[in-house]
Amino acid sequence: MTLDGDWVRNATSRMDLTPRIEGRLAYTTDQRHLPGLLHGAILRSAHAHARITGVDISRAREMPGVHAVVSAADVPGPNRFGIVIRDQPVFCDERVRYEGDSIAAVAADTPEQALAALDVIEVGYQPLPVVSDAALAEQQVALHNSHEEHGGSNLLARETLERGDLEDAFSRCTVIVEHHYQTPRQMHAFMETEGGVAIPDDNGGVLFRVGCQSGHRDAEQLADILGLAHDQVTVESTATGGAFGGKDELTVQPAAGLLALKTGRPVMIHLDRFESCRTGIKRHPVTVKMTTGCDAAGRLLAHKVEAVLDTGAYASLGPAVLENYLDHATAPLYRIEAYRVSGRLVYTNNGVCGAFRGFGGNQATFAVESQLDALAGKLGMEPSAFRQINLRSPGDAGSRDQTVRWTAPPAEVLAAAVASPLWRCHDAGTGRWLTGTGMAMGAQGNGLGDGLPDSGGGRISLSPAGHICVEFGFSDYGQNIVESIIQSVCNGVGCRETDVEVALGNSRGPDSGPTSASRSSVLVHGVLARILPGWMNLVRGHAAGLSGHPEDRLVFGPGGLYFNDHQVLSYRELAASVNLDELSASASQDFPVAPDAEQPVGRYLQLQIATVARVAVDRLTGRVRVTDLHHVTAAGRVIYPPGYLGQIEGAAVMGQGMALTEDMTTRDGCYLADNLDQYLIPTFHDAPVQRVDVLDSTPEDDPFPIRGVGELGIEAVAPAITAAIEMATGVRIRRLPVDPGDLLVGMAAQEQAL
Amino acid sequence: MSDHYQVPEMPAQENLSFKLNGETITRAAASAETLLDILRESGQITSARAGCRVGRCGACQVLLDGRAVPSCLVMAWQLPGHHVETVEGLGEDPDFLSVRDALASESALQCGYCTPGFAVSLVAGLRQHRQGSPVDLAESVAGNLCRCTGYGGLRRAIDQLSASCCPDEAVGRGPSLSEEPL
Repeated sequence: MTLDGDWVRNATSRMDLTPRIEGRLAYTTDQRHLPGLLHGAILRSAHAHARITGVDISRAREMPGVHAVVSAADVPGPNRFGIVIRDQPVFCDERVRYEGDSIAAVAADTPEQALAALDVIEVGYQPLPVVSDAALAEQQVALHNSHEEHGGSNLLARETLERGDLEDAFSRCTVIVEHHYQTPRQMHAFMETEGGVAIPDDNGGVLFRVGCQSGHRDAEQLADILGLAHDQVTVESTATGGAFGGKDELTVQPAAGLLALKTGRPVMIHLDRFESCRTGIKRHPVTVKMTTGCDAAGRLLAHKVEAVLDTGAYASLGPAVLENYLDHATAPLYRIEAYRVSGRLVYTNNGVCGAFRGFGGNQATFAVESQLDALAGKLGMEPSAFRQINLRSPGDAGSRDQTVRWTAPPAEVLAAAVASPLWRCHDAGTGRWLTGTGMAMGAQGNGLGDGLPDSGGGRISLSPAGHICVEFGFSDYGQNIVESIIQSVCNGVGCRETDVEVALGNSRGPDSGPTSASRSSVLVHGVLARILPGWMNLVRGHAAGLSGHPEDRLVFGPGGLYFNDHQVLSYRELAASVNLDELSASASQDFPVAPDAEQPVGRYLQLQIATVARVAVDRLTGRVRVTDLHHVTAAGRVIYPPGYLGQIEGAAVMGQGMALTEDMTTRDGCYLADNLDQYLIPTFHDAPVQRVDVLDSTPEDDPFPIRGVGELGIEAVAPAITAAIEMATGVRIRRLPVDPGDLLVGMAAQEQAL
Repeated sequence: MSDHYQVPEMPAQENLSFKLNGETITRAAASAETLLDILRESGQITSARAGCRVGRCGACQVLLDGRAVPSCLVMAWQLPGHHVETVEGLGEDPDFLSVRDALASESALQCGYCTPGFAVSLVAGLRQHRQGSPVDLAESVAGNLCRCTGYGGLRRAIDQLSASCCPDEAVGRGPSLSEEPL
């Protein structure tokens, strides 16, 4: 079924989107009405790599309007943070490792005064050699040699996944292809840059309203840094203007919190785009050599992967990204007899890389799918026929021999993509535009995976105003989570949309774990399935006592409870009649993992996508236009159609940006682009016409019918685009973003060969 | 950092008057202060937002005498005698209401940070259309960036608006070059 038209409009018609359209929704950087609000600014490093010989903040303290200046000596707790390894200083005092490193921060009456004060902070630097090439990083000066855990080298992590006898499998291959692939340092480019406010309370604690993705985890890290008890730090992650993984790590919170405690006043820090580009985390660039072989019939036998991921100056979520990269590099959709998939994650002075939608997976899928096309080409087979031979069946184990759960057979997804109308378009082989159509597939798991601790909870209650109030710890940064929760509650309870109030992202509320890894929808569904029946019984029991009607004949409906189709009590009357805590329910659950005996590996809940791309290549300039993207998804049931559609479409255009224009290139560790006029994300006129077809053969009683689709759309876009370019021009591009120059050179070589 | 920010002294401020959403307001501002900062600091306007401050992203788009402009590129000295309209002042405007309903019904937004900017651009586009401009309504959002949606909902909303405001024109003209567009 195609996600479009009335299906989308009917669902959205019951939701109130007007506060967002009219600009009334308060974002974290919108909080101007706080009494005594000060403005903070952070001094960043002047070098990509240097020893610090001294920091003198004394003159800054005397500047007009300045209330506080803080540096490393002012950090009461550990002067470090990081989700996996706390290796990033709040303020550097010995060494800077990238140009976004923080050295000091100022709070002043106005933003201009704060910036002026930064200007008179004197920092002595002794430049160190810059580690800028990930391939050479392990032989160069170590960024973190003071830390034992890094073993005195820039190698942060290495991992190898193996299956079968690789040498034997290669020896039986009829065709072997070996290629190098490169993917870019993509920037999240959320429209609201990092920022928010830290507000001190009367008891020495701090409240943070800063764009983030994991309020509970951030609160813990911040309490440690600030030297406070954990219950003295509260995080309210109110509406955030986009994140995509880029606000998963702490951003301005430590500096804002220290300044708020020091001044006793609320402190706002909002990075401008220049500072956001320079300091924010990015997608890991990957260079990889893949060697893949099959027999004469096209059966995949052997697959060898050697990847290097540039994690930049600090670990952030790098080790987890490496794991997900390798998982996807094992080609989860296809049966391969033997593989050795290895990767190295290295420190460099090139910014910091971390979580980004796709999380390493889409970088790997780009290379894997390209390899399949190369093998098909050598055998003279259609790429789809080649995939058909190798796709897993629903009963098969996953690529890491773990149990997996698909929501439709992979062969059906492929068949639907092969039936796309885009294949019937005629190729205009003459004139200025060369057109072509290409396809790629991708798999995407839900959850943190690999046996990492992964659980989440939620709560339901009645609000004093008579709303059914649902609380989760997730952040709302535009992933339609509010509408999806409202829809799920309506489906489960039988109320109407306006009866439901959703409260998200408060670290005092339920801990749902991070808003990442396409995990929220799965947990929302799981938790609601647990708590709704019991809570409804609780409410019915109470209502029976109030109304005198038998409990088992009271029915939830729009606005209240009904007996014989007549409303007998409104939710507001119910709320007024009772201590509200008595009518609440909460639960927590572990994220579903494979019911295998051993430690879980990889992901259990698996989604699939096939993307068919149609492109037009400008023969004169080598520029590529993506005219159409047709996606076939198998990701469980659709709860909220506009959300599902929007997530796939949005992720796909983000993937298109990675394929065609986006790369935060560095020179000697310094970014060459610093704003959206140099770093080009797709505009309205770059975006293709898209269609999303949903396949869902999840059984009615399936325990996990709802899957998270936040990342799925990005998975297969890039290899589909390069496949389409190859059909149009005969040239296969293996380095992203596609360089028009590379393409023109390739096209010229093709013409000479003819 | 020190190469970029060297404004240690507060520049002189002067009173300036301009019309904001139909009302004349007078504010003290330095002549090079941006309209975006003036609006944000007023505390009344939250729909214009900083995204890039170089006129690229459109998140701060406002109407200046009816034309959509990025408010980060308008300076205080340019304002006297002119009329600035933001979404806050367009609540009763029939063009804005059509735009709002089209954006909502097609779910043309996710985080919503860029959305008022798109709305302002589309209102300007609709007004131009009614004044006989032959330009495609989609051209009006060429200066707006959205990172969440992939522009799918926006495309459908613009198709909807085009169909109602200019039914004689081809509707649904995407960039598709395919002979059988999806």
